[in-house]
Amino acid sequence: MISIKNLHATIEGKNILNGINLEVKAGEVHAIMGPNGSGKSTLSAVLAGNEDYEITEGSVDFMGEDLLEFSTEERARMGIFLAFQYPIEIPGVSNMNFLRTAINETRESKGEEPIAAKEFLAMVKEKSALVELDNSLLKRYVNEGFSGGEKKRNEIFQMAMLEPKLSILDETDSGLDIDALKIVSHGVNTLKTKDNATVVITHYQRLLDHIVPDFVHVLYKGKIVKSGGKELALELEEKGYDWIKEEINA
Amino acid sequence: MSSTLTTNKVEEFVSHIAENNLAVWSELPSIRKSGLEALKNLSFPTTKDEYWKYSRTTKITKNQYKFNSIDSANINLDEVRVAGLDTYEIVMVNGFLNIELSTLPKNDSITIKSFEECTTEELTAYFSQNLDTITNFFSALNTAYFSEGIMVIAKGVCDKPVHLIHYSEGEGVISQPRNLFVTEKNSELSIIKSSINKNTNNFFYNSVNEFFIGENSHINYYVIQNYEAGMNVMSTNVATQEKNSTFSAFSYTLKGDWIRNNTNVFVKGEHCESNLYGAYQPTGKEHIDNHTIMDHLMPNCESNEHYKGTVGDKATGVFNGKVFVRKDAQKINAFQSNNNILLSDDATMNSKPELEIYADDVKCSHGSTSGQLDEEAVFYLQSRGLSKESATALLISAFLGEVVEKIKIPELKEKVLEIYGME
Repeated sequence: MISIKNLHATIEGKNILNGINLEVKAGEVHAIMGPNGSGKSTLSAVLAGNEDYEITEGSVDFMGEDLLEFSTEERARMGIFLAFQYPIEIPGVSNMNFLRTAINETRESKGEEPIAAKEFLAMVKEKSALVELDNSLLKRYVNEGFSGGEKKRNEIFQMAMLEPKLSILDETDSGLDIDALKIVSHGVNTLKTKDNATVVITHYQRLLDHIVPDFVHVLYKGKIVKSGGKELALELEEKGYDWIKEEINA
Repeated sequence: MSSTLTTNKVEEFVSHIAENNLAVWSELPSIRKSGLEALKNLSFPTTKDEYWKYSRTTKITKNQYKFNSIDSANINLDEVRVAGLDTYEIVMVNGFLNIELSTLPKNDSITIKSFEECTTEELTAYFSQNLDTITNFFSALNTAYFSEGIMVIAKGVCDKPVHLIHYSEGEGVISQPRNLFVTEKNSELSIIKSSINKNTNNFFYNSVNEFFIGENSHINYYVIQNYEAGMNVMSTNVATQEKNSTFSAFSYTLKGDWIRNNTNVFVKGEHCESNLYGAYQPTGKEHIDNHTIMDHLMPNCESNEHYKGTVGDKATGVFNGKVFVRKDAQKINAFQSNNNILLSDDATMNSKPELEIYADDVKCSHGSTSGQLDEEAVFYLQSRGLSKESATALLISAFLGEVVEKIKIPELKEKVLEIYGME
């Protein structure tokens, strides 16, 4: 589905990604772990098309297309979804209005008719139940005054509504208590099909008890330095990142 | 202050306007007199005057104008009508009252009549009562040479809003409508002011509206400014409040080459509420200026003022809000804020909130912000599939929408949201 080759990225002249190689196939769940500052969030931002970063080398193929050639909204319409680590509060824009606009612009770009009001409402009802998002929150302004957990559930709700091919969850577990973590994970697991893929970016193994990855990668100094199965996450949890740093720096 | 040279310029400017045969009836000379007297001592405002610092009026005063009452046969008012809302329509064409197109009700709750139908007592009781004709050139000009006007008297809760529609057309034309709105004790009145302009070029519109809000009565005044090119607009509104009254003014400026709105409120009774809301969004090279004065002369009152704007391209926005709390006006709650978003590097916003407090037991706040569109929010919306344009539009709607939401007439709110493209 996505093939990242030798990806280098900088921000304000500082190298953050130093040659990422990653291959994700449909139906797979990949976890990217790593210490703070290793470039995890940069990778997700770059894939989503954040223009603050400059790509200096490498390529990203997404379903046969050169992803880096497309704007943020085009990538979203192609099926890339980024669940933000810190979802943005947007006062004055209602959750529902925002989502309907997002869905309709995506449909329009594909030459499809706008979603019927009834269909939209039915979809909202079904998908919000998935992450136990209260109806009153849907009518409120996007993320404004939401608790940390509500914001993350709102991200997964949006993901459910937009039905992406590739979902990148950037530290979705940060700031979640165990109940919220279970709800979010349940949502993500339910949305999983053989045709889509998920990249979970996390600092902690805890989330991976609930969203079980097929592959675990360790990102360090802007490179994937180790890959393995789900047992790698457990090893990291137990031993921390120092042994990997030592291995690399040796 | 005025040199011979400038006086001559004023004389010349006025002489062209004075050439026209404006309505004459017995009481008029005395009413026009204060304006005529004031003009003798006034020069054109310059940017050296604090009140005109950010709005250059030479583009108006360098030209000559004439009045021009035109045939109204082809005038279509549909574009400003509010769907589903029944109103009394008062239509003024180039500043002259058009009786055929207007409804002038005279029932238990409301009387609308032309100045000509008013008694001398009625006119002198209200005309220019709180209008600054001494120092304000344009108010003096309107007072001396207003084209025509109506008086609206509310005597109870009015059954329908009054829709005042100004139609403008022509080149080198001046329009100087003058209207009086009076609400007697325990009455309620809503006024919508809309404008249409067609084929205007170097058109100068200089209106004065005076509001007298009687004891325990309420006025909601909505202004929608959506001008096509070719108009310079000077709109002055002065409200005087008696005890237990409410005055709320809502101003929505969508388009206009050059607009200056002066909205001044004098609160002369206790337990009053005053609300001033405004939204503006100049683009291109437009210039939109809102000046307000909120003058608390009596204790135990509340005022709320909120103006919001987005300024794009090479446009200029101006906000100046002055709040006075006079010596005996204790227990006043006065709030004022002005928020702006600059959408381009070449856009300019001049914002100046001012507070002058002479009482010691008051609660006042004022603030002004000017910033840029939240880029993180734009990215967030784009990452969900919205184009940059619609993300920006959505954020602007959200920003200005706060002020549009204040509209109390649902049908009108719908209409304003629609013209803003906020659905």
